[in-house]
Amino acid sequence: MLVTAAVAALPILTLLLIMGGVAKLFTAGDDGGGQDTLSRLGPAVLVPERFRKAAMLACAVGEFALVAGQLAADLVVARLLTVAFFAISTYVLWDLRRRRPDVGCGCFGEVSSTPVGLRSVARTAVLTGMAVAVAAADVGVADLVAGVSWTAAAWAAGYLALLLALSPEVEEIMSRLRHRAPCEERPVPPGRALARLKASAAWRTHAAVLESGEPDDSWRELCWRFFVFPGQGGADVVFAVHMSGRRPTVRVAVVGQDGNPIEPLAESIPVSATR
Amino acid sequence: MPHARVERRHLLSAAALGRTAQPPQPAEDDDGPALDALSGRILDTTPHLLVIEDDEGQEERLVIAPWATAWRGGPVPPDRLPLGSRVIVRTRSGRVADCVWADMTRMTGTILDVRGRRDLTVEIDSGPHRGRRSVVIPYQATGRLLVRHPKLEPGYLFDAIGTIQDGTALAQVPATSQPPYRANATPAPPPAFGGAQSRISGTAVWSDLDDDGAAYPMLESSDTGCDQGVVPCARLPYLSLGSMLFVRNVCGRRSTAVPIVACGCMAGRFCDRCVDCDTSPRGRIVELSPLSYVRLGGDLTKGCFNAQVGLR
Repeated sequence: MLVTAAVAALPILTLLLIMGGVAKLFTAGDDGGGQDTLSRLGPAVLVPERFRKAAMLACAVGEFALVAGQLAADLVVARLLTVAFFAISTYVLWDLRRRRPDVGCGCFGEVSSTPVGLRSVARTAVLTGMAVAVAAADVGVADLVAGVSWTAAAWAAGYLALLLALSPEVEEIMSRLRHRAPCEERPVPPGRALARLKASAAWRTHAAVLESGEPDDSWRELCWRFFVFPGQGGADVVFAVHMSGRRPTVRVAVVGQDGNPIEPLAESIPVSATR
Repeated sequence: MPHARVERRHLLSAAALGRTAQPPQPAEDDDGPALDALSGRILDTTPHLLVIEDDEGQEERLVIAPWATAWRGGPVPPDRLPLGSRVIVRTRSGRVADCVWADMTRMTGTILDVRGRRDLTVEIDSGPHRGRRSVVIPYQATGRLLVRHPKLEPGYLFDAIGTIQDGTALAQVPATSQPPYRANATPAPPPAFGGAQSRISGTAVWSDLDDDGAAYPMLESSDTGCDQGVVPCARLPYLSLGSMLFVRNVCGRRSTAVPIVACGCMAGRFCDRCVDCDTSPRGRIVELSPLSYVRLGGDLTKGCFNAQVGLR
């Protein structure tokens, strides 16, 4: 039974270590902008500020090394180090909960920003137990391939259900999906709107009156991105591209130097368009 | 970015979307007499008359109201203001000056260095557009500034109001209570429940803007060079330089439309509230030029008013 439990635990531990390592790398790499995410994530907050990024990177590299040691090199010491890693993590999270109740565990980088609770601590304790099972049974890649069975699959499903139940990140991800920022607040690269403009009927209609294919000016207001192109006779041709959907609404106006529209507003939407 | 092109944006976007492009309106008054503001240099003062040269070089003669107040590092009688001082005057009913602020400046930024024992010299970084500046906190003002800025150390935010005297910026009153977080750890805005709002509530502040208008924190970096690593503490929609922003002073019950003329990169880092008449929601949503701020009924020595913003 121990071997079956260990065979089921090994792929889950490996997957979680890889996911945790990748998420930490992204979070540490994304820190240059100015909004200091690491100051709200454990265990980076436990070290001085100048070492926070290094601590996050070291943690990620350590997780990758454990995966490599267990799977590629099939080392017993790597399995023991995995036990030590999760045991220390359990203690660190317990300590973090006591010392900095406002910060998240950072287990999966920036997604784990919910303050550390008993669930996060219990999850690491469960992972420690799984690592102990793997180390005690001394299961490697060869045993994993040989030990695949319905019983092991049931164990793995049980582990996954338990870990998902103990993961506050699941709620965080669901909340982010449900409360997606409205288009007024979402960053959208200007190139995407320009590509959609050039695929629109309004562009094809007015391409002949443009003196250049490169916009003179471009700016964004709420859900609209505006492009101004130099038109014939010194006029400005201004396109407004809505920033939602693959075939967005495009509006266009030709404005003279005096600021008055030269022709009536034309919309790119064909009569058959559903929008 | 050429200035004329930015000024034309509002007109062009209005044409494309079929909106009416109206020029900025003077502050609409929900109640009370109309307010106006002008700035210039004092040419002469008497107990009843203030003569200033405005920014266009025109001489303006203003009657000083009997109840008028003046501020230059502290309350002073209006006729005691030194000649040559740069003033911002709030006027009512045309040419009646009822409040005068002299040599005002606002020092907002991230603390880089603090030196001195008696008078403190604070080096601040005011953002990518305004650069660094050196601020002196006179010994008499250190008590009231330190009580609102308990972390006067590098990496924390600083916001004070004072005067420029002999070329030196003197911080004399705190403009806010210092945020407890470091400047690079601005709290994230709340999640987007229920989509975008047409009017957003928060705090309006003033700053030493060169042009008359507003600085807005949520501009695209390609447009302004704003550091987009900082997402403002309040949830704000993207706008651009040249957009007309509707601003309402909730306490003073005045509103107007002002053009966005700069990036409010530093305002976005402050997650404070204004308690002018009531407690505002968190976050600075707009930074106004001193003239726009005064026209909306703001007091330059207070530093903020509860505001609502939206797009016209």
